[in-house]
Amino acid sequence: MSGKEFFVNRYREFGWEFRPVYARQAIRINQTNSKGKNLLERLRTAGADLMKVPFLESGYWVGKSKVSVGATVEYLLGLYSIQEAAAQIPATLFSTLKNKLVLDACAAPGGKTVHLADLMDNRGAIVALDINSRRLIALKNHLERCHVRSAVVYALDARKASSLNLEFDRILLDVPCSGNFASDPQWFSRRTLKDVERNAKVQREIIAESTKCLADEGEIVYSTCSLEPEEDELNIDWAVKNLNLQTESINTPGENGLTQVFEHRLDSSISLCRRIWPGETQGFFVCKLKKRVGKQ
Amino acid sequence: MKVLEDFASKFGGKIVLNSEFILEKGGRYYLLNPTLRKVTHADFYYAGLYLGKVKKGIFFPSFNYLKMLCNVATNKVVLDGKAAWLFICGRDAFLNGILKMQGSRKRGDFTMVVNEFGECLGFGKVVDNFDMPRKEVVIENVLDVGDFLRRES
Repeated sequence: MSGKEFFVNRYREFGWEFRPVYARQAIRINQTNSKGKNLLERLRTAGADLMKVPFLESGYWVGKSKVSVGATVEYLLGLYSIQEAAAQIPATLFSTLKNKLVLDACAAPGGKTVHLADLMDNRGAIVALDINSRRLIALKNHLERCHVRSAVVYALDARKASSLNLEFDRILLDVPCSGNFASDPQWFSRRTLKDVERNAKVQREIIAESTKCLADEGEIVYSTCSLEPEEDELNIDWAVKNLNLQTESINTPGENGLTQVFEHRLDSSISLCRRIWPGETQGFFVCKLKKRVGKQ
Repeated sequence: MKVLEDFASKFGGKIVLNSEFILEKGGRYYLLNPTLRKVTHADFYYAGLYLGKVKKGIFFPSFNYLKMLCNVATNKVVLDGKAAWLFICGRDAFLNGILKMQGSRKRGDFTMVVNEFGECLGFGKVVDNFDMPRKEVVIENVLDVGDFLRRES
């Protein structure tokens, strides 16, 4: 079960009509590093065409520019990061972050780790995990470039997070996923339903393991850039029914999470999740979960 | 943390770091805040503010450390926009691109290199006496922030 027609028919069944979309380049201003530096004016003077992303506080889309935003002095000094607009949403969904102990369970290449550190104003601590050695190098370079002071990185599989013997107030699960066609033009020829199911299984293992390390009243933000419900709503439905977690309402663009997927009727609270079909951003799925206290 | 202090002194600067919050692993030095120190186990991959590494007896600073050093160094050159751009592309600095020079002007000495906004671009070595330059290149590029692009390519 693969191919463009197969997946496009699925999307139609979920209420979205396929159209070709390509993810727009975006930047996120690192507020901590860029205070008082007139960053936008400097970038515009250098020839960057920037448009504010309406649903993000620090995000700007990059239009046709005379300058490559990945090679400016300001970029190299960590004043901003290149981060797709939808990918800038997850870190902003936690209720409070300053002075918290935060787990970024699948951290590399570090865009969201740096975003968390920025939102925390480098106060508190972030424990960032990843296992891919190439991506770990990208992560440490990203942390150094952005002068992050509050993160510790372990080369550790997120499915072994409890071996750290730490209890986290906040957990970001930007889990490895199948991706979507907006960020990968070859996606339809590369992916099969088998890949999706394999990823969904790993994702459940990561959610289950992370929940073991979550403090009472602690929060998890779960996100993928997959449009496939196996990796999104079905996983969250499973988590809500099996892991003492509840979905929380979030204020972010997108449609309500699906509550009917094929023959599966999901928990009604799954509608609090957000499904962002490709358009202004790449395809994305995000939700916030909270640990229930005193109930099993 | 002699290695860190010795490096700072090459720029006429002094940095005092609380050794209680510095971790060394495999020749790499990291500065940790107290909260982070509590959750950092011995098998970490990267932690806190990376300060630099010692390889074959030579200290290679991180850009975090250079940024800290920039605030205290007395040896400093300020480059104009074009020279700053060329410097982060790995090029040396020419006399006509230098807006300001502070501290040592002596051949062989190290100097921090900053842009017109005072942001640290890296460091270099004085290759010709400033007072009576005979060559066009006066600051040899030793390390610049363009390294972030080069190291992953």
